[in-house]
Amino acid sequence: MLSHWRQYLAISPFYLVFAVFSLFPVFFSLFLAFQHWDGLSDMKFVGLQQFQFLVRDPVFWQSVGNTLVIWVLSTVPTLFGALVLATLVHSVRRFKGFYRIALFLPNVTSIVAVTIFFGAVFSNNFGLVNAILGAVGIPPVAWLTNPWLIKLVIALLMTWMWTGYNMIIYLAGLQAIPPEVHEAARIDGAGPVGSFFRITLPMLRPIVLFTVVISTINGLQSFSEPQVLFGTNAANASLGGPGQAGLTTLLYFYQEAFMNNDYGYGAAIVWAFFLLIIVLVVVNWRLVQRGRKA
Amino acid sequence: MELSRRRFLQASALTAAAAGFSAACGSSGAGADGKDLTLWYWGGGLSDKVVADAKTHFAADIALTASSVGGDFKQKLVTTLAAGGKSVPDITGIKGEDMASFIPSASRFLDLNDLGFKGVSSQYLAWKTKRAQTPDGKQLGFPIDIGPTGMYYRVDLFEQAGLPTDPAKVAAQIKSWDDFFAAGAQLHRAVPKSFPMRNLPELFSIVVNQGTKRFIDESNHFIGDQDHIRTAWNTAVKGFTSGLDGKVDDNSWNAAIATGTLGVELGAAWHALDIEQAAPDLKGQWRVASMPGGPANDGGSFLALPKQCRNPDQAFKIISWILSPENDVRGFTDAALFPAAPAAYKLPAMTAGDPYFGGQSTIDVFGPAAEAIPISYEAPADAAVMAPYRTELTNIEASGKSPDAAWTDAVSQAKQIAQRQGVS
Repeated sequence: MLSHWRQYLAISPFYLVFAVFSLFPVFFSLFLAFQHWDGLSDMKFVGLQQFQFLVRDPVFWQSVGNTLVIWVLSTVPTLFGALVLATLVHSVRRFKGFYRIALFLPNVTSIVAVTIFFGAVFSNNFGLVNAILGAVGIPPVAWLTNPWLIKLVIALLMTWMWTGYNMIIYLAGLQAIPPEVHEAARIDGAGPVGSFFRITLPMLRPIVLFTVVISTINGLQSFSEPQVLFGTNAANASLGGPGQAGLTTLLYFYQEAFMNNDYGYGAAIVWAFFLLIIVLVVVNWRLVQRGRKA
Repeated sequence: MELSRRRFLQASALTAAAAGFSAACGSSGAGADGKDLTLWYWGGGLSDKVVADAKTHFAADIALTASSVGGDFKQKLVTTLAAGGKSVPDITGIKGEDMASFIPSASRFLDLNDLGFKGVSSQYLAWKTKRAQTPDGKQLGFPIDIGPTGMYYRVDLFEQAGLPTDPAKVAAQIKSWDDFFAAGAQLHRAVPKSFPMRNLPELFSIVVNQGTKRFIDESNHFIGDQDHIRTAWNTAVKGFTSGLDGKVDDNSWNAAIATGTLGVELGAAWHALDIEQAAPDLKGQWRVASMPGGPANDGGSFLALPKQCRNPDQAFKIISWILSPENDVRGFTDAALFPAAPAAYKLPAMTAGDPYFGGQSTIDVFGPAAEAIPISYEAPADAAVMAPYRTELTNIEASGKSPDAAWTDAVSQAKQIAQRQGVS
C-alpha cells in the first residue's frame, strides 16, 4: 500500500471530494433524521418521532403517490420510445450521426430552460398548445391546474429529456449484436418483426436491465421539473402547484428542509424514500430478469 | 517537452502548495481591526444609490463592501450563520416573512437596543419594530420598509358599473368585506369579464394580516382552528361561491391586469409598480383606496447585525444612516420601498401625485394605513403552518373540493405541521 502512494495520491482528489460532499452528508442526514433542528439553534434528539410524523402525514403519502405516477407515466414511454428510435436509427443508412445528435440534444439542454419552455407551451391561458387546440375549435385545457394533467406535463417533459439518452444506450447495444445472427434468422425465414422480438430483444436484455434500473433511480428523483414549474406559485410556493399534484417526494423534502428549515423531518423523508427506491429497483430487477430463466 | 510522471507530480504538488499559500494570505488580510465591513442584501432590498452613498459617506472610517446576494437569500444566510467564521456578513438584510423564523436564534445576532436603537426606535412604526423583537425585548432587526395594503381599482370599469370613482367616495362605500363583495358583484354584472379578486389564497392572507391573532399564540399554542382564521377562510370562500373569483395565477397575472380581467387588485404599496409594469397602457385608469376590512401589511424587511460583526458601533451607525427617514424616502423613489418611518410620509417625494394613478397622491391612502396596522404575534412556525390553508383554498378553486372538507383537511394538516415544529 505504502509503495503505491503516488497512485493513491493521484486518485485522491475524487475520493476527498466524494467524502466531503457525498459520503459525510449521507451519514449526517441519517443522524439528522433522529433530531429536531432548524439549522441554527441547538439540535434536539427526538428518537423515532420524525418517522412517526411521517407515517401519519398525508402530504408525504400524496407526494409518494405523485412520484410513482409521474415515474410510470414517464419511464414507460421513454424506454419504449427509445427502443423504437434506436431500432430506426440503427437501420437508417444515411445521416446516422445527425439523427444520433439530434435525438440526444434534449438530454444536454438545461433542465431549467426546458421546464420554463414547457411551462410556457402548456400555460392554461396563453400557452401554445391551448392556442392550437383553440384554432381547431377545442376549448382550452387546464394543463397546469388539473391534477392528472399536471403529472402528464411533468412526465412528458421527462420523456422529452431522457428518450434520447436511452436511445443512445440501446443503439450501442444494437450495434454490438453480430450481424451474422440476424443473417441466419433471415435465411431461416424470420421477418423483421419476428427477428426483432426473438433475436434483438433477448440479446438486448442486459442493456434493458441497465436502462430500467437507471430510469427507476432517475425517474423517482424528479425534482427540478415541478420545482421550476410551480416554484414561484404564490399560493403555495415550491409545493407542487394546484392541489400539490406536482409535489414529488424530493420536492417535499426540499420544502420541509430548506423552506421550513425542519432539517430533521426533511432527513426522515429522504431516508424513507431511499428505502422505497431500493424496493422498487429490486422489484424491477426481478421483473426484467424473470424471463431469462424460463 | 515530455511530461514524466515525476515531473507531473512535482508540478501538481507545487500548484497545490501555491494555491494553499495564496488562500492563506487572502483570508488573513481581512480586517481584524474592524475597518472592513460587509453588507448582504438582495436585489431591490435597499436602494442601490443609498448603499453607494453610504460607502463614500463612511469611507474615512470604514471600507464597506456591499453584496447583492441572489437566489434563496434566507437559505444562504442560514447556512452561512450556521457555518460561522469570517464569511458571516457584518450587516445583513432579513426579509420580513423570514424574520419570525430567526427569532429563536436571537443569540446569533446583536441586540440593537444596546447599540442605540432605543434612542431612535420612536421614529419607526411600533408594530413593525415589534416584529423583529424577541419576547424578552431583544431587538434583532432595524426596519427597512413595510407593505401597507390598499385596494387598487379601475376608474373606467367602476364608472361603467355605476360605482363611485373618487378614492374617498370608494373608501366610504366599500368599508367591510360585505361591501366589497356587493360592489364586486355590481362590477362583474356590468363588465362580465372583470373580477374583483385574484384568487382565494391571496384574499385569505390579506384577511389574516388584518387581524391581531394568527395561527399560533404567544404561549406557543395552535390557534389556527379558531374563529378568527375561520372568518378569514369564509371571507375568501364567499368570493368563490358568489362567482367573483378571477382564479388568476402568477403566470397569467400580467395579462389579467392588462386585459381587465382584474378590475380590482388588492395589494401592498410596492405592488403599484407591478401594476404599472403589467399595464403601461392603462395609465390614468387606476386609483387606490383604503382596504376593505381595515389596514393590513404585506412584506417589508429588516437589517440585522450578526454577532460576528467586526465593528458593531460603526455598523449600527451605517444602518441607521441608510435607514434614516431622509434616505428611506430615496428607497421609495429608487426601489419602491415604502418607508417604515412615518416622518418620511410628509416629505415631497412621498406626497407628490403619481401620474400612473391619475395624479392621485397615494400616500393619503397608504400613510394612514401604515400607522394603523394592527400589532400581531407571528410565531417562528407561522409560515409553515399557514401553507396547508392556502393549498386547500387552491383545491376549492381548481378542483371544486367542498369548502368544508377543505377546511377540515387544512386544519388537520396545519395541526400536524405545528406539532412537528414543536408547537403544542
